Amino acid sequence: MINFLEVILVLILLTVLLSLGSTRLVALVRIMALQGVLVSLTPLLLKGHGLASLGAVAFYVAMLAIKGVLIPAMLIRAVKSVSIQREIEPFVGYHASILMGLIFLLSAVFMTNSLHLSLPEGRALILICAVTTMATGLFLMLARKKAITQVIGYLMLENGIYLIGNALSQHHSLYIVEFGVLLDLLVAVMVMGIILTNINHAFDDVDTTLLGQLKD
Amino acid sequence: METLLLSLAVVLAAGILPLLANRLFTPIKACYVVLTLLGCGWGIYSLWPLMQLSVPATYTVAWLHPFELRFSLDALSSFFLIPILCVCPLAVLYVFHYMDHKEERQRIGVHLFLFNVLVAAMAMVVLAGNMISFVLAWEMMSISSFFLVLHEYEEKATRKAGYIYLLFTQLGALCIFSGMGVGFAFTQVLDFSALAKLPETAKLWMFCLMLFGFGSKAGIFPIHIWLPYAHPAAPSNTSAVMSGVMIKMGIYGIARFYGLLEISSPLAGQIVLVFGMISGVLGVVYALGKQDIKKLLAYSSVENIGIILIGFGVGMIGAAEGNLPMAIFGFTGGLLHVLNHSIFKSLLFLGAGAVAKQAGTRKIDLLGGLMKRMPLTGKSFLTGSVAISGLPPFNGFVSEFLIYVGAFYGLQLGGVQYVFAMLAILAMALIGGLAAACFTRIVGIVFLGEPRTERTAATQESGWTMTLPLMLLACCCLVIGLWPEPFVQAAFRAYGVMQANLQLDPAQLLEITGKMALGARIFFVLFLAALVSRKLLYRDKVVDSGPTWGCGFTQGTVRIQYTGTSYALSMVEFFRPVVRLSAHYTGISKIFPANPSYETHVDDVAEQALNSGLVTPVQFVLSKLRWIQHGHIQLYIGYIIIAILIALLCI
Amino acid sequence: MASFLSLLLALAAAPLYPGIILKVKAFFAGKKGPPLLIKYYTLWKLLQKGSVYSTSTTFVFKLGPVVSFAAAVLPLLFFPFAGNASLFSFHGDVVLMLYVMGMGRFFTVVAALDTASPFEGMGCAREVFFSTLAELTLFAILILFYRLSGSLSMSSFFSEGNTLTLAGASGALIVLVIVALFMVLLTENSRVPVDDPATHLELTMIHEVMILDHSGPDLALIELGAFYKLFFYAAFIIQLLCPFSLPLSLLNIIFFFILLALVYTAVGVIESIMARFKMNLVPKFILTSFVLGFFAVILTMGVLQ
Repeated sequence: MINFLEVILVLILLTVLLSLGSTRLVALVRIMALQGVLVSLTPLLLKGHGLASLGAVAFYVAMLAIKGVLIPAMLIRAVKSVSIQREIEPFVGYHASILMGLIFLLSAVFMTNSLHLSLPEGRALILICAVTTMATGLFLMLARKKAITQVIGYLMLENGIYLIGNALSQHHSLYIVEFGVLLDLLVAVMVMGIILTNINHAFDDVDTTLLGQLKD
Repeated sequence: METLLLSLAVVLAAGILPLLANRLFTPIKACYVVLTLLGCGWGIYSLWPLMQLSVPATYTVAWLHPFELRFSLDALSSFFLIPILCVCPLAVLYVFHYMDHKEERQRIGVHLFLFNVLVAAMAMVVLAGNMISFVLAWEMMSISSFFLVLHEYEEKATRKAGYIYLLFTQLGALCIFSGMGVGFAFTQVLDFSALAKLPETAKLWMFCLMLFGFGSKAGIFPIHIWLPYAHPAAPSNTSAVMSGVMIKMGIYGIARFYGLLEISSPLAGQIVLVFGMISGVLGVVYALGKQDIKKLLAYSSVENIGIILIGFGVGMIGAAEGNLPMAIFGFTGGLLHVLNHSIFKSLLFLGAGAVAKQAGTRKIDLLGGLMKRMPLTGKSFLTGSVAISGLPPFNGFVSEFLIYVGAFYGLQLGGVQYVFAMLAILAMALIGGLAAACFTRIVGIVFLGEPRTERTAATQESGWTMTLPLMLLACCCLVIGLWPEPFVQAAFRAYGVMQANLQLDPAQLLEITGKMALGARIFFVLFLAALVSRKLLYRDKVVDSGPTWGCGFTQGTVRIQYTGTSYALSMVEFFRPVVRLSAHYTGISKIFPANPSYETHVDDVAEQALNSGLVTPVQFVLSKLRWIQHGHIQLYIGYIIIAILIALLCI
Repeated sequence: MASFLSLLLALAAAPLYPGIILKVKAFFAGKKGPPLLIKYYTLWKLLQKGSVYSTSTTFVFKLGPVVSFAAAVLPLLFFPFAGNASLFSFHGDVVLMLYVMGMGRFFTVVAALDTASPFEGMGCAREVFFSTLAELTLFAILILFYRLSGSLSMSSFFSEGNTLTLAGASGALIVLVIVALFMVLLTENSRVPVDDPATHLELTMIHEVMILDHSGPDLALIELGAFYKLFFYAAFIIQLLCPFSLPLSLLNIIFFFILLALVYTAVGVIESIMARFKMNLVPKFILTSFVLGFFAVILTMGVLQ
């Protein structure tokens, strides 16, 4: 039988990869939306989680809505409203970024193997996935010029943290922490929208390298 | 064994002939060629019964009281003797029409003599049975090839190439000798057989020294720098033998000493594999970027040495981990690639020499359309190019296939070895694709299309002694590709010598080889069937000829053809971080710009790093010591006396 | 018997499927489209004609179509259609297949360079570059398959007991493989978004520009070879999608040939909804497919076996 959890995790890795290779901002945001949906679906497929109570259901639905719809919609609005150029403008080239993704995954596998955590059945892959996602998120923040890609990188980082929580926890009560992080993130995206507009007013562009001009 | 050595003596004698009597140019040259051919033929004839023996044949000469020169012949030596005795005579035959300037007869006489010394020295390297005879033969080989490179010594580039070659070959020899010193320090005998008793760490150190030393001869990546200088500078018969056969002596050394040392740690295999992958991939990338045919072929030699080392590395890891199929396939593939490469690389170098001689230039972007003007050379060059790209049904595929299978067996291992096996496969795949790109480029730009200059358009086919070796070698490529079993078996027997303590069973190897060969034959039959049906389809059809469709552009000249540089540029750019690509563009300033020029170079990273990291600092330090050199001979004698005194005091 | 039959069927039916792509594209454009058998008509028309050869060309130009055709047929001989044993197979035949396809490419490229046309040279440079990268993907997939099935021949990948399908134990990895393989299919068969077979500007073509000067039966051989190549990749993907374990082998074969249309439809849909990439983005696209394959390979190291 098809193991849906593994399929979803593999699809998350796929979105990680695509995000490293995508050249258009809008495409990147869409990939993030897909990743958000996939990430918020994972706990449903874990053993011992499931739809236990009404609270849990509400929690999952909220998660899905925020990660999959709300944040991407806001990001797209931000992209459109400040009329950012569609190209992503990387510091590190696309080919190198994709190969970096490979290296992240390889080191995540070695890391997970060397940690010797006593994880429940089938959780090791989640951990690998989570580490890769976090590393890629950090890498995106580092290697792309635009302010908006840094927010996206941060979002990805958060997805990774959420996955780690999934891998390590046995019970969904621990999600409170991640939910808090998610709300922080939501606020961050809103603030970013405002700042982005202001940077755009000041410099006619949202290239973060221009912020270097602000120093004395 | 004695007859084999006698045949080498005949080869040497043939070499002395043009040295002494070069007044009668053409007849003496013919005598030389015939005598060398006879010598080599006799050598192969005497080799045949020796190959059937199960114990190695030996021959000993006492020399200079403490030393004894020993020669011995086992399956590994005889496997490396095959390319020496088969390829070299063809290069000698090639010389007959290749060196036809009567006014240079003295120089040619010296060249031919040294050439035969090189052939005999290489045979002796392979036959050497103890350290002292090995060292002697190795130095003879290095020195004679150094003078062969210096053939056109008036040119500055040639002198530079010669010095670089000398530097690297002597540096390598230094490492080999110190490696042997490590061995001697532990065993106290000059014999090879005692080396297996060394402690494990000493073995590894000795192996690394040997790898560096032999690697500088073979052309492993960071120490390959002499190849792209020496090969274009040397005449083509020399570069064919140097690239086809002589650099294999480095591989022979690695194989021989690996076998003698009986290393059990997988680290040796991993080192060899990593160097193999780097040489393979970077060699072919640089080959893509070069515009001089012979430079391109020199880098392609680096690539093929990389493939051989990948095979060896896979084999060594397999042997260390007890994965016997991996060891068998890796080593056999690597050894077979030695033979294959010696065939197609000498073919390509001889072909490139014919092109350079007839068309007057080695620059790819100035040539073109030679297939019509030199049909025999062109056809054999095409065959060689297909073979070196490792495509079935030619010989290059057989060895690469075996290495692939070996590496795939390596995937059964766990952990780090798995990653190594995986990287080996991917490196081979990348090399295969890029090699095909590299050789479509050289065939397509040099031999096909229209000639790019008037000089090229006037090219004519070269003499029969130059085309005959090419065609023979091309036939060899196809024969080994379609019927590889005996050659695989010979390579396996050679491998058996390297690992005498393992129980090796060739059944699986031969079975897979046989089926692979069947597949290649099926492809060949399919090809013939398609050829016949094409003939049938064209029966009673109107066949017309006209100009090439210019895509709507009617004023095409030959200058608008795609050049070799632009063909390769996108691929070279892809490897940007490891390949320095520099462009010089004068720019266009006026409405009618006078002479705008655009030039690109692909520079070797290893060479630049060596220049800035080692050569410049050393030069700086040495320039501070300039004051020692006065030019007064008395002072120098003083130095010598002081040195001797100090040495005597210290000892 | 069943394997021989399915091979013959494949050889005969391969030109049918590209017609499906055209139909799908016509559907998206709101047109009726050419008849389903259009490719047969084209081949028949080409076979009736003579040829015009450029004065620049040599025998290599005539060799190109022949070698590329032979190289396209060979992989089909080693392919297990619908899980039936293939006509020939041995340990390592996949390597032979890939290299034979490389041989076909070598001669297509050399034949194109023979015409001395700058446009064809440009197409050649792109073709060799892109297919080198695509070969990497295929080898990454082979590494994965060897790891999963312990064998190195096409027919044992899909024989009984091996579960290299979506429904198998390692189905999650097969998802990655299918996506990667589909990307390679698009690249190697020069479809949108890598290359546009319908474009009219030679400057932007890859494969089509290389065969500009071929005509008549030569062109027919090339076209037929291209159909076989596409068929091979499509069949490969279909084998991964579905295990074909119906009791009757004939039923399996019929089921297989019906399912094949799915891949071609997918190609048609992609071609209708996507534009082609800028040329400098194509290496990235192929590299992505390689990394997908490689991801799967790395994952077998850790947890998924």
